[in-house]
Amino acid sequence: MMKFLTSLFLGTALLVAPAQAQNQPLRIEITEGVIEPLPFAAPNFVPDTPAAAEYSAQLARVVAADLSGTGLFREIGSDAYISQVSSFEAPVQFADWKAINAQALVTGAVNVSGNQLTVRFRIWDVFSGAELGNGLQFAGTTDGWRRMAHKVADQVYSRITGETGYFDSRVAFVSESGPKNQRRKRLAIMDYDGANVQYLTDSSAIVLAPRFSPTGDRVLYTSYESGTPRIYVLDVGRVQRRVLQSQEGTMSFAPRFSPDGQTVLYSLAQGGNTDLWSMNIGSGQSARLTNAPSIETAPSYSPDGSQIVFESDRSGTPQLYIMPARGGEARRISFGKGRYGTPVWSPRGDYIAFTKQNKGRFHIGVMRTDGSEERLLTASFLDEGPTWAPNGRVIMFTRETQGASGRSALYSVDISGRNLRPVRTPDGGSDPAWSPLQ
Amino acid sequence: MQTGTKISGVLHVTLVGWALFGGTFRSEPLPFEVQDVSVISAEEYAALTAPKQAPEVVDAPSDLQQPEQPDDQVAVPAPAEPEPEQAPPEPVAQPEPEPEPQPDVVAEPPDPEVVEETPTLEQPDPEEVALLPPGPRPQPRPADRVAPQPVAPPPPDVKPDDVDTPPVSAEEGAEEQQPEQEETAQKEATDQIVTEAEESPDPAAQSSPRPKSRPSRPKPEPVQTAEQEDPPDTSPNTQDAVEDALAEALGGAQAAPAPSGPPLTGGEKDALRIAVSNCWNVGSLSTDALNTTVVVSVAMQPDGRPISNSVRLLDSSGGSSAAAQQAFEAARRAIVRCGAKGYDLPTEKYGQWQNIEMTFNPERMRIK
Repeated sequence: MMKFLTSLFLGTALLVAPAQAQNQPLRIEITEGVIEPLPFAAPNFVPDTPAAAEYSAQLARVVAADLSGTGLFREIGSDAYISQVSSFEAPVQFADWKAINAQALVTGAVNVSGNQLTVRFRIWDVFSGAELGNGLQFAGTTDGWRRMAHKVADQVYSRITGETGYFDSRVAFVSESGPKNQRRKRLAIMDYDGANVQYLTDSSAIVLAPRFSPTGDRVLYTSYESGTPRIYVLDVGRVQRRVLQSQEGTMSFAPRFSPDGQTVLYSLAQGGNTDLWSMNIGSGQSARLTNAPSIETAPSYSPDGSQIVFESDRSGTPQLYIMPARGGEARRISFGKGRYGTPVWSPRGDYIAFTKQNKGRFHIGVMRTDGSEERLLTASFLDEGPTWAPNGRVIMFTRETQGASGRSALYSVDISGRNLRPVRTPDGGSDPAWSPLQ
Repeated sequence: MQTGTKISGVLHVTLVGWALFGGTFRSEPLPFEVQDVSVISAEEYAALTAPKQAPEVVDAPSDLQQPEQPDDQVAVPAPAEPEPEQAPPEPVAQPEPEPEPQPDVVAEPPDPEVVEETPTLEQPDPEEVALLPPGPRPQPRPADRVAPQPVAPPPPDVKPDDVDTPPVSAEEGAEEQQPEQEETAQKEATDQIVTEAEESPDPAAQSSPRPKSRPSRPKPEPVQTAEQEDPPDTSPNTQDAVEDALAEALGGAQAAPAPSGPPLTGGEKDALRIAVSNCWNVGSLSTDALNTTVVVSVAMQPDGRPISNSVRLLDSSGGSSAAAQQAFEAARRAIVRCGAKGYDLPTEKYGQWQNIEMTFNPERMRIK
């Protein structure tokens, strides 16, 4: 009897085991991947009307340039295309796009009626044969076709990466021309990619450090128009300005808006000492935030407006400190070798960008808000003045070359340190300030 | 005094005298080898041994590691400097005149003229180059691709692809004609992101990339088994041997006619893991998505190709639902794209890999 039961048990086990094997999947874990630009194709948008033909290629080119400029995407040129997109509604021939290794595909159509421009587009995951999200449509005037292209690119970027884009944004900067000893400086504003440059001031006075308001409609900057540095606020739309701080016997500079746009932080030099102050724009009331014999400058708010990161030499060398927005005890967060300055809080709140000088070289770097995970992204004769893209993934800064013929230019770099590239400006450029998304 | 005592005394004195002067205790020194040894300091020793280590790291072209030139315009004339060094066409021309002098060759030294012209052509005008932002041009990164292991640049005549494929050409007289196949190789890659600030000023490379080795594929077992898969292995190196032995033992011990075959060996699973890794591109993922681990299921065809519309998100952890969706889409692209030609999986074990659950954990990619 015992032998029978044992045989029965073993037989049952042998029968059940294969069935279980068939039902359970193979399990593996992938912990290593690759980091490389994602190949995509952006064929010319299909013109719905004859008048739209001139925009069909231009829109696609701007979208492709936006995406490629991030370093996260790589465009596959049209000469590699196997099939063309002749109808926006026609099914996508995924096999043709797979064959050229396009992993993402942007198809679109453009319609022009009078001066009204309408853009429709879809984003496809080629290898999965699936659409990423639903199709979208933007409408505007033909004058704003570049901006609409930027908006399309922002959507593509957002749907593939999961992060907000930054293409529909602008940059205020100081346009520099002429030799180094007679440099002419003008305040200018342009699209993030260097298009549509407009000058906001003439070159009669030195201007420095423009800073956008949270809504992007106003710019703070410092001007030597009166002989000493003064802070001005300029309405970008109307190109009208007014002095914000004009206390006699003082110099004011390094202004920065609060996240709600109601308060301005700035440095005030008085009697040989420089401290941080804040001013309510509505009432004009100012309040001192620091009171120390050292130099406190370059303040920047945290995104929630509760804290301020700034630069101070109270320890003997310029270092970075954080304190409550209304003043109070400051704690030092930079402890590496060298001098730290111009800290800027990321719009995401996770990092602080800064300028560092060490061993005769300048660096743009990032660190966590507690000072940890410091990482230097660039190195050159002179890099300074970082500003964050609205999505907190890209940093723009000033790079100046050495020597009497040295020139200033704008550069951008991903926070990973990849994709370091110059930003096109008509002349030299410095002191960039990135606007929020429009 | 007794006679015996005298005789004893004489003998003892004789014995002692013979011992001292007769050669028993030789005063000559034993053979001794002397070698001249010079004492050196630790610094001198380090200096002597340093050259032995240097050749190991000097392996890459020095151009990639050149410290950047701060002035773009100044850097441009640099190509003119090597020109005079390339001027030794003269040594080549000298041997020829011996058998048959050729005055034409000797008489026309064109290279010096080119050297003279090049700098004049590239004199930058500060005003005219305003459209081109000046400054040191960004140094090229070692490679545009970051992979688990560095990959050397493929030969120029090899098609870049996600997988390495040996060339196959039609062979006359072969028993089985194989379709012709173009040779492909993976694109050049580094194993981590190098920022401009981290680039070494030393022009020599600090390490040489090693080509990735393909895991060996064991011979298929003739006997099938019904044993099921282990849970996900997190330490393949330590478990591979155990799994191989288990698969072999089970494959030999059981003679069940189940179609699933024996479990996949560690090498076979590693091959699948590496194949998917080569297409798992996390470079375009958001920070939130890079904090999200997703578990994805996929049904496979017997030829090793995944069924595209079967890829499903089973589970996610660490991020928002939106981040999970981005991470899932990246995982789906990896599975479908690298499986387009079929994964290298043993056909006789199809039942073991007919359904696969892949966990994509980006934790190690966040620190690249």
